[in-house]
Amino acid sequence: MMERLWGDNYFNPKTKKWTKNGTYEGKQLERAFNQFILDPIFKIFAAVMNFKKDEVTSLLEKLNLKLSVEDRDKEGKQLLKTVMRTFLPAADCLLEMMILHLPSPVTAQRYRVETLYEGPLDDEAAISIRDCNPKGPLMLYVSKMVPTTDKGRFYAFGRVFSGTVRSGLKVRIQGPNYTPGRKEDLFIKAIQRTVLMMGGKVEPIDDMPAGNIVGLVGIDQFLLKSGTLTTSDTAHNMKVMKFSVSPVVRRSVQCKNAQDLPKLVEGLKRLSKSDPCVLTMSNESGEHVVCGAGELHLEICLKDLEEDHAGVPLIISDPVVSYRETVNGKSSITALSKSPNKHNRLYMTAEPMEEELSKEIESGRIGPRDDFKARARILADDFGWDVTDARKIWAFGPDTNGANLLVDQTKAVQFMSEIKDSVVSGFQWATREGPIGEEQMRSIRFNIMDVTLHADAIHRGGGQLIPTARRVLYAAALLAEPALLEPVFLVEIQVPESAMGGVYGVLTRRRGHVFNEEQRPGTPLFTIKAYLPVNESFGFNADLRQGTSGQAFPTLVFDHWQVLPGGSPLDPTSKVGAVVLDMRKRKGLKVEVPSVENYYDKL
Amino acid sequence: MRGNKSIETAEVMADVDLVLSMNGSKVLKVVKHQRANGHLVWLSAHSHDLPIPGPLLPGVLYGIFRTSYRYRPHCGQLLSPTEKFSMLHAQVPRRHLNGGAEFNLYATITPRSPEKKNTFGPDAKEDAAAADDDNDDIMASELSTAPALSTPAEHLFEHVAPEVSPSENEAQSQRRSDHELANIYEIARTAREVRQGGWKRIALQFPDTMLGDAPWVVQALSAALQSLHTEAESETGSAPPKPERIYILADTSYSSCCVDEIAAEHADADVVVHYGRSCLSPTSRLPVIYVFTQHELDHGAALAAFANEFPDKQEKVIVMADVTYQDHVPRIVAALRSQGYANVLSTAIKHDPMGRIPNRTIISSSPDGDDTDADTDLDPKDYSIFHISAPPTALLLALSSRVKSLYILPTTTTTTADATPTLPPAQRLLGRRYARLLSLATAGIIGILVNTLSVANYLSSIDSIRAQIAAKGKKSYTVVVGKLNPAKLANFAEVDGWVVVGCWESSLVEDDSAYYRPVITPFELEMALAGDEKRVWTGEWWGGIEGVKPPVKEEEEEEEDNDKEEKENGDGDGAAETTLDYGDIEDEESEPPEFDLRTGRLVSHSRPMRMAAAAAAAAAAAPKKGSGGAADAAVDGVSSPLSGALALRPKAELAMVNGVVSPGAEFLRSQRTWQGLGSDFSAENDSTAMEEGRSGVARGYTVGENSERR
Repeated sequence: MMERLWGDNYFNPKTKKWTKNGTYEGKQLERAFNQFILDPIFKIFAAVMNFKKDEVTSLLEKLNLKLSVEDRDKEGKQLLKTVMRTFLPAADCLLEMMILHLPSPVTAQRYRVETLYEGPLDDEAAISIRDCNPKGPLMLYVSKMVPTTDKGRFYAFGRVFSGTVRSGLKVRIQGPNYTPGRKEDLFIKAIQRTVLMMGGKVEPIDDMPAGNIVGLVGIDQFLLKSGTLTTSDTAHNMKVMKFSVSPVVRRSVQCKNAQDLPKLVEGLKRLSKSDPCVLTMSNESGEHVVCGAGELHLEICLKDLEEDHAGVPLIISDPVVSYRETVNGKSSITALSKSPNKHNRLYMTAEPMEEELSKEIESGRIGPRDDFKARARILADDFGWDVTDARKIWAFGPDTNGANLLVDQTKAVQFMSEIKDSVVSGFQWATREGPIGEEQMRSIRFNIMDVTLHADAIHRGGGQLIPTARRVLYAAALLAEPALLEPVFLVEIQVPESAMGGVYGVLTRRRGHVFNEEQRPGTPLFTIKAYLPVNESFGFNADLRQGTSGQAFPTLVFDHWQVLPGGSPLDPTSKVGAVVLDMRKRKGLKVEVPSVENYYDKL
Repeated sequence: MRGNKSIETAEVMADVDLVLSMNGSKVLKVVKHQRANGHLVWLSAHSHDLPIPGPLLPGVLYGIFRTSYRYRPHCGQLLSPTEKFSMLHAQVPRRHLNGGAEFNLYATITPRSPEKKNTFGPDAKEDAAAADDDNDDIMASELSTAPALSTPAEHLFEHVAPEVSPSENEAQSQRRSDHELANIYEIARTAREVRQGGWKRIALQFPDTMLGDAPWVVQALSAALQSLHTEAESETGSAPPKPERIYILADTSYSSCCVDEIAAEHADADVVVHYGRSCLSPTSRLPVIYVFTQHELDHGAALAAFANEFPDKQEKVIVMADVTYQDHVPRIVAALRSQGYANVLSTAIKHDPMGRIPNRTIISSSPDGDDTDADTDLDPKDYSIFHISAPPTALLLALSSRVKSLYILPTTTTTTADATPTLPPAQRLLGRRYARLLSLATAGIIGILVNTLSVANYLSSIDSIRAQIAAKGKKSYTVVVGKLNPAKLANFAEVDGWVVVGCWESSLVEDDSAYYRPVITPFELEMALAGDEKRVWTGEWWGGIEGVKPPVKEEEEEEEDNDKEEKENGDGDGAAETTLDYGDIEDEESEPPEFDLRTGRLVSHSRPMRMAAAAAAAAAAAPKKGSGGAADAAVDGVSSPLSGALALRPKAELAMVNGVVSPGAEFLRSQRTWQGLGSDFSAENDSTAMEEGRSGVARGYTVGENSERR
């Protein structure tokens, strides 16, 4: 029966037989699915919504549904809801579907191990994950921190992929930046308690074998949002979950009363733990900043912060967009900077990087830890890089994994390996704070064209080269038509046709750009997809509601970066220049953008 | 320093009291000079972007310079035969001049004969002949044409015009009459005070901008002292005392606002006369005469600006000024009172940087005309401040939270440049300071920069800062680099942040964006180390070392902290963990990482020394406990799991140098791909048993005393 409900199967009520043939005696037959599933539903809808009481009662009897007395007195929509809930309970159905169709951990992990695990697929941990072996080394991915009733403490909530976790077990806690063999982001700690988390309830449990989901007590201080727990010394990390949203809207917070600062700081810590999409940090001008995925998200987070996490009155600034600095062209000339002692010279150029490549880097598909040969192959095949260049990528920046590359294009220069660390330090520094407004750089490829160095090691130390590398990177970027990137939301708006004019009006006013519009089949609703700069999205919801008298429902999600149009950031009279000016003022910098002469040295 | 100086050296120093040297447009300042033997002077110098001080001055040595490779001298020329100073002129290859490298001067000085000019070296004779006259102008023009040099690399770089800000040029741009100069430099007062103190060796310290006037001041001062002597002689009829010796301290080691006692002690001086603006930090060794070198002020404009800013005549205002303008304050206040401003208070200089207004005391005038010290009974928070001339940033920051508002009257030197409008307001500056100190809160390695050798208590301050840092489980390195610049500090790439021990004005590094790592003041460090639970940033700010607490108290606080932390850690689980705590977990379990407020991440490297400290504490505690007989058994139980059980350590533990945990070495090992050819901390070469080598003659060597030949 179940099988026959799908596809071109028909039930002929006359012959009481199933058939594949759609016609019988010249009459079109109903498909079985329509006949047995949809028809009753439509009937219920029609009966209930048209207030045909007796019809409803008979239908209910036929379907063998029993309603309570007060439910039977309901009318219209209320009644429909009750009826449908009893007829087709969604939660039960969903659960049933999961039980029937999702593979068990034993089956799933066998083929999913390669997408789950960062390390080699033949090591102890990988094999144990593959077999879902409760006797193997522990591999546990903590995906979320769940607040406990104890204020400020969290359960680490995650799934056991192999081994068995129990109270008192001493585990290695590997944060997202852990690399095997290093001790960064690695902590050793005994698990205090293991608990089973069911809905709102928590039950202590002795141990939990592979394949299950568990809550852990006592390790929340070691993890910010997610991490890997293991007992194997050689285990790599489980792959980190990437969220499609990134924190692009920021607001700075400040406590009304200076004495409350410790509470605010504590609140910020808790906030950043409890929400995977929130980033709390402080900027160069000494403000504490909360970054969120959008205006609304941020508003909720800040409300939580003020009322719950910190519990002190706050002053919250207007939302601000974080920009990125990039270049539009290749450096007009090779930038040169000399070290403070004038004995070393660095020559570099900057050029824009392919957007696709930047996205790959940001999503983690191409990264600094890849094998350089494999990476060079991808770069050469997919992005048209020169293979020799692609093999000589010195660094990703900022934070050693950002979407800027430093490429060594020098030939036969002595001491290059010796200055690499210093130049890379300068690169990380420069890409973290760009020349235009101390925003991060993005999507720039820097090429080291040539280097002259002093023969004595003491004259080409870090002191000489780190500041010089930063200067030459700034000069190269300023010579290559610098530009600002602004984040852009992808907006999906559901709106009836009658109100579409209002949507277009609002979008146009806010530099929005519609690229897709289609009708949802069977409804008068249209789905409009558009790009909307994040900067213009503040107050968008309210504006849209007003423009369409509340008929449009938008969802916004960060999609990509785009060049902020309207002139060069170096020209203070242009629109972009004004944005830069504003930004620099806010940060307490000198208002004018430093010119290239500050960083470029003449030969 | 006093002990090892020969008399000979002292004589030479007297010959070249002020040593300035020069190449075309660049002026070098010689900072070290020494006499190696009768005719050899060895000098080192570094370059400064100073302007040519107009016509060449007598008493100035225009020296021969060479790189540290010690070339032979090129040429030399004596410029002025009339003065008691010898003079020397030469060219320096351009490429050696840039960037503050040190040079050595290596020249021969022949004793001067009364009729003829002295000459230096073989080449110098022609030059000396050419410049036979005493005419300053000729000499200046000669300087602009460089003599041929043997180093062709001179033209490697293009000529770059020196950039001198107008304020720096001030001393040179206006030639003043002798009378004016005598007023500015307060020659008479200085001479009187020196005479009263009975000091014989006087060191004059000038800021760079005033060095051009230095020879004149020396002459004037010695003349004034001489006349005082003759007066005294005629009065008392006593024998003429030995004349005073005057030295010019041409370069300050750290900052020109502080008294450079070390340099003064090099000259064995009894007293230092400090010219120019000063931070008035208390000194530890020598008496100091401060000459603030008064500047002129347009009173009319100042009063107009005041009236413009404070139209309400009842406004509570304190008038203060930069020390160089301080003498105008009483007159301006008097003028204001006569205009009807009732609540205007005046200030006077007081040597107390920790006062409510640093170095000033507030003076109110009672109706009957008496000036009384009102410092104690009024709250500066009610008052606005009218500050004449732009204050140093450190003062601006310190004042901003203490008073109601601050109005700065720009003076002539700053109005020409548009420095004032671009200066961000104090609130923004403070914000940036807060950002800096936050980044030090999670720093693992902190460098202590010693930026003074004269401010009182600097040694004890360093000690207590060191103790504070150690108490937080962080590592500190103490570094002395002289005047700070980004290149010097970036050489220590492993240091995560710096704290400056210096006078309260110079500890604040302005324009710090060029520095690779943040540089903060001791006050800010205390904030940074206070921990997130205690840090409160009210806007109060101080730059100097005066507020540094003694170390003992800090440790106690830290212990409290630890207790509290432990309690917090144990919160969730109660009894279960406290029992576990004692066993083998203690030294193996990691401490929780810290939340970096700057980046919003957890960092694990913020307390590299914590493990080591814990181990040391345990070791220290064990014998103490052992002394109590009853506790012995318990101690055994506790200590055996610590020492006895072999635990597999992760490969990546902290690097050790000579058995001491060294975060610096750890940085070198983990962050550097290039480590040079050898390293101190690798344990690869294990020691082997000593063997006796062979000895004897080539015919047959022996091993040891009695073994057979080989």
